[in-house]
Amino acid sequence: MARMNEDGQWIVLMGFIVSAGIFFLALIISQSTLVGQTTAEAVIEFPKTEIQDLKTEVSYQTTVLINSYDELTGFDPNLLSYYNNYIADIKALTMARQNAVVDVTLPAEIYSTTYDRTWLHRIHYNNGITDYNQNETVTVLK
Amino acid sequence: MVDDAAQLYTIEGVAAGVIMLFTAFVVLSTTTIYAPGDTHLSEMQLEQMAYDALAMMDTPDSYGAESDLTHYIMTNNATYFNAGFLKYMGHSGYGLEAAAEMFPDEIQYSATVYYRDSGSGTVESYPFAQSARGEILGHEPAVTATQLVYIPGRPGSPPGNVVDNRQQIVLMEVLVWRG
Repeated sequence: MARMNEDGQWIVLMGFIVSAGIFFLALIISQSTLVGQTTAEAVIEFPKTEIQDLKTEVSYQTTVLINSYDELTGFDPNLLSYYNNYIADIKALTMARQNAVVDVTLPAEIYSTTYDRTWLHRIHYNNGITDYNQNETVTVLK
Repeated sequence: MVDDAAQLYTIEGVAAGVIMLFTAFVVLSTTTIYAPGDTHLSEMQLEQMAYDALAMMDTPDSYGAESDLTHYIMTNNATYFNAGFLKYMGHSGYGLEAAAEMFPDEIQYSATVYYRDSGSGTVESYPFAQSARGEILGHEPAVTATQLVYIPGRPGSPPGNVVDNRQQIVLMEVLVWRG
């Protein structure tokens, strides 16, 4: 009976493993193209700077408005009408230039103690791809 | 006695395996795979730098003070805006106390101010500043950076009377590109 020749089996096995490794690397490289494109596009499209800018402007004007609150007369009517104008400006500008819907609510008093008062207002930003909602509470000493 | 007849074949096989691995390494390390997503990296950097420059110019020195950007828009001072913006973008020769220009002016921009007309409710605009070179040439895509700016009244002329004379928020939009 002829004996099977078992020489060289180890080399053949090593060659097979190396070729499998090269095949795996080739798969990774071929997918890197698509992965790089979609990842970079997702980062570019997120409106981080627009939302930060909106929050900064709105929170400054809201603080000015809240500080003018008087228990008997409410918000200063001049400041209130300015505030409404600012919000209307922001809504129109973000719709026209950033294709985003912005909604800001007037601060509403939600809690009051002897020493301080807490206000709640909401900011909403939606540019069709990203929807951002924020509830902000501001506590002011009386 | 150990039979050493196949030693040469074994060594030859090991050498062949080593040569294969070395070839694979050389092939993979010398070819650069340029992913299409890499083009967005330079755009993202430019957009972030432009937004940071605008945000710095819109930050006042102290609470309640007027920010630089508000001042430039109210006085319609495109020269100072140009100096400030390019200084923050990294062209150190554009400080107000400028000496020699140290960097090639490869960053170009075009700044526009958008405002809301409360009478008609529409959004209008007027051109505010352009980079000094003035050529609309570029090889790379342009990015925009915006900043909402509070202004206490009507900006100086131009644009003058077309803008409402009221405290308002306007949008400064800067289109930036490398060219």
